[in-house]
Amino acid sequence: MTTEELKAIKVDKSVDARGTSCPGPLLAAKKAIGQIEKGQIMEVLSADEGTKRDIPKWCNKKGYEYLGTVEESGFFRIFLRK
Amino acid sequence: MANKKLTLALFSGSVDKLTAAGVILGGAAAEDMDVDIFVLLQAAFAFKKENAMTNDRVAEITDKKEDFLASLKRLNAPHWTEAFRTAKEMTNVRIHICGFAGKVWHGEKLDDFIDLADDIVGIGEYMTAAEQADINLFI
Repeated sequence: MTTEELKAIKVDKSVDARGTSCPGPLLAAKKAIGQIEKGQIMEVLSADEGTKRDIPKWCNKKGYEYLGTVEESGFFRIFLRK
Repeated sequence: MANKKLTLALFSGSVDKLTAAGVILGGAAAEDMDVDIFVLLQAAFAFKKENAMTNDRVAEITDKKEDFLASLKRLNAPHWTEAFRTAKEMTNVRIHICGFAGKVWHGEKLDDFIDLADDIVGIGEYMTAAEQADINLFI
């Protein structure tokens, strides 16, 4: 998806993990994914550079669809569909 | 599909290596791995109730100890015991104290160790688990 499409997307769950460092954002995503239904969309907010690569790999292993990442000022918004 | 298996031979009792082990456990927890940790010599010292929360063991960077501990605080990184606890809450993590190591530090009973420990075992447990593991680490 393009950055514009991602920015316009309606998320079902937003996880703010900006106060944690690796592996905090990944664990926050793991905890939150159980709270949404299959097909719903979640975003993970992280200020940790490694999360940009961790979440796509995690999605691939767990069977979730990684949608893309939007870089904001000082953090990332990482989108996925369960 | 069966969960992947991680075995960790945890020898070190220093806070830096235990923190690294906690990070790896976080990764394993995110992926629902089954984890068996074998707490060997110096790590068994760190798992003793009276030692677990002390931060005087930072082995590899002794001249940077204060910087290291301050950075953990600045980064809001959990104490290694909390990282281990979080992993236990999120996936199947079993923590085994090596019986020999326990005795070295005068820990004869499970109750001598922090409540993260599940049992006291012999080395055969480790060999069996490691043979079946997808990933086997020594820290």
